[in-house]
Amino acid sequence: MATKYILAGTQQHRIWKYATWGLFIVVVMLVAFAYVDTGTIDIGDNSYNLSMIRIAKAVSFGVAILGLQCVVGFTGQVALGQSFFVGTGAYITAWLVADHQWPYLLTLVVVVPACFLIGMLLGLPALRIKGLYLALVTLGMAAVFPSIVKLDAISDQTGGSGGKSTAESKLVSPEWATSIFDGIAGVLQAVPLVGQYFGDGDLSEREADRMWKFVLFIIVAAICFWIVNNLVKSRPGRAMRAIRDNETGAAVSGVDLAMTKTLAFGVASALGGVAGTIYVMEVGIASPDDFTQLLAINLIVGLVVGGVGTLSGAVVGGLVVVLIPDWAASTESVAGVPERWLQGPTGSFLLGVMLIFLTFVMPGGIVAGFRKLRARYVQVVPRPPDGSVPAAFAAATAGPATDGEAMLSNESDDELVHTGSDSGSNDE
Amino acid sequence: MDLFIQRVFDGLANGSAYALIAVALVLIFKATTLINFAQGEMAMLGAFVALQLWYWGVPVWIAVILAMLFSAVLAAGIERTLIRPFDPKDHLPLVIITLGLFLAINAFAGIVWRFDPRQFPEMFPGGNALDIGSRGLSWFAVFTIILTVGVILLLQLLLNKTKIGLAFRAVSSNLESSELVGIKVGSTLQFGWALAAAVGTLGACVYVANPLLSLEPSVMLRVLIFAASAAALGGLDSIWGALVGGLAIGFVQSLLVQYIDFIPSEMSLAAAVVVLLIVLLFKPAGLFGTASVERV
Repeated sequence: MATKYILAGTQQHRIWKYATWGLFIVVVMLVAFAYVDTGTIDIGDNSYNLSMIRIAKAVSFGVAILGLQCVVGFTGQVALGQSFFVGTGAYITAWLVADHQWPYLLTLVVVVPACFLIGMLLGLPALRIKGLYLALVTLGMAAVFPSIVKLDAISDQTGGSGGKSTAESKLVSPEWATSIFDGIAGVLQAVPLVGQYFGDGDLSEREADRMWKFVLFIIVAAICFWIVNNLVKSRPGRAMRAIRDNETGAAVSGVDLAMTKTLAFGVASALGGVAGTIYVMEVGIASPDDFTQLLAINLIVGLVVGGVGTLSGAVVGGLVVVLIPDWAASTESVAGVPERWLQGPTGSFLLGVMLIFLTFVMPGGIVAGFRKLRARYVQVVPRPPDGSVPAAFAAATAGPATDGEAMLSNESDDELVHTGSDSGSNDE
Repeated sequence: MDLFIQRVFDGLANGSAYALIAVALVLIFKATTLINFAQGEMAMLGAFVALQLWYWGVPVWIAVILAMLFSAVLAAGIERTLIRPFDPKDHLPLVIITLGLFLAINAFAGIVWRFDPRQFPEMFPGGNALDIGSRGLSWFAVFTIILTVGVILLLQLLLNKTKIGLAFRAVSSNLESSELVGIKVGSTLQFGWALAAAVGTLGACVYVANPLLSLEPSVMLRVLIFAASAAALGGLDSIWGALVGGLAIGFVQSLLVQYIDFIPSEMSLAAAVVVLLIVLLFKPAGLFGTASVERV
């Protein structure tokens, strides 16, 4: 198939962009309805769980990784302590819900500003501490979090080493939402051939609650992604990327280093807090051992495996970090592998190996690999700031589209960074 | 008073183990300005190998030495295959590689040896060397300190009196110039990694040989933070600094945290992180390190 070229900023490009994201969301919702209750896929003798608990956790981790994208991916500060903020958000939510009977979503009003401020505060030392030292300090911070919440002085609020449970207040799907879910499920079940995969009859109460939670998570996460997408394309976002690429150069060009870095830390921490809220909404308990430095490292794995400096990388990363350990744990027999190897932390082992392997063969992560593949079929050509049609594009579309490939760099395909050049780049 | 003396001794014993891991961190930092996040896990793996050899009937000291050799070979391999291909000035990929090693080694030990704590064989005679009131200075503490100082003296001899030591110092002082005068930089760095892993393994063995502790895959998670604070406090490129830093962190852990009321006892790790933070903020070169001067 010949490569198809699309000029950035045209109608065609917009349709293409929204169509792909729309397709992604439709697939997510279809999977959700298909697997709302007993999501298992059988391969060989093993059954793999795909149920919503996993997916919801993946949404939570995806948002946390999105925060890491801001500070590591876009600002270039090697901060590893995201689990600290996920934990903070989780505990604030658990405390407000369990002790003060707040509705879950309302706690975001406290979580987001609180985590933002804490993040900015803890980001201040990062103005002096750089590179590996920063990585070390932030990893230390992540390691300290469990012992902070276990402190006797605040154990009334945090529940000590047992954790803070919010099991008493359940998130119940409202009537209208339940009926909508039932309607959709009914329509899907009526589809010939594939209808059987969507169960039968109305959703049970449990299924409806789960679906409601899932829809809420998706909406919260979508808002987070939308905000970050706009942030990185705006003036502070460009300042962040300038710092990542060349700090001295950015300072010379008038970027306020201190301000931008603390802002990046604040945003990252706020997103970590949101991730914590989602986590508690799904799991129903915030316990100290969930937020150790192992979580911090896992989130870094997600960041790198998904793709550093891309928003879609956060989605992929969240899924990978949750699903791989889970699937590894449910794999009970594989031909040629001793059973002992399949019990125990096989998932973490795979993640570690995958991290090293991908750093060698695919430094841009899975998203970069996917883009490389896609670039063979569809390429988005950025438009120069003056609005003219680039020569390479004209040549590629006019002649047989074979030689054009060499002239177009893959980098121009970075849809989340370079889009909107017709309106965004030349407004300063 | 008895309790105080007891805690001084505890601090010394723990501090020496931290010092050994800190020395391992310092060796790698000196050579490559890289902080090896997997150092603690590599040391833990070495300790497990020693334990396994001991299960198979090897005398404990020979088992430890064999485990040190194993770790050295493993680390040399890791340096050659995973670290050398990357530009030492670009930190993110190297951090990621060492974090990947951290996860993989931790999980590997969990798969092979499971997570239940195991008692490490006694490396030193039990009992007390010195009784003061109801408390005493255990032989364990005495030997740990002697061993640590001995290892550091040996390292100093190795670095200052041998040819490979000279090459190592040259490489850590100026990589490009030493390459120009014909030093094989690659194998010298490999030597640094091997040495560091061997010292780290010894540190982990000594740490878990403490009768109060046992060996399990996550035992070094906290120790790495303590050791990193120790190394930073002493100066990340000073071997004697690592000893001083290790002992200081040991004392912070056993004395300050116990005697100052408003610091609860669970906060010893937090205290170490705070020390690390303060050192890096106000005196990045540490107590004995070389201050780095950067041309801008």
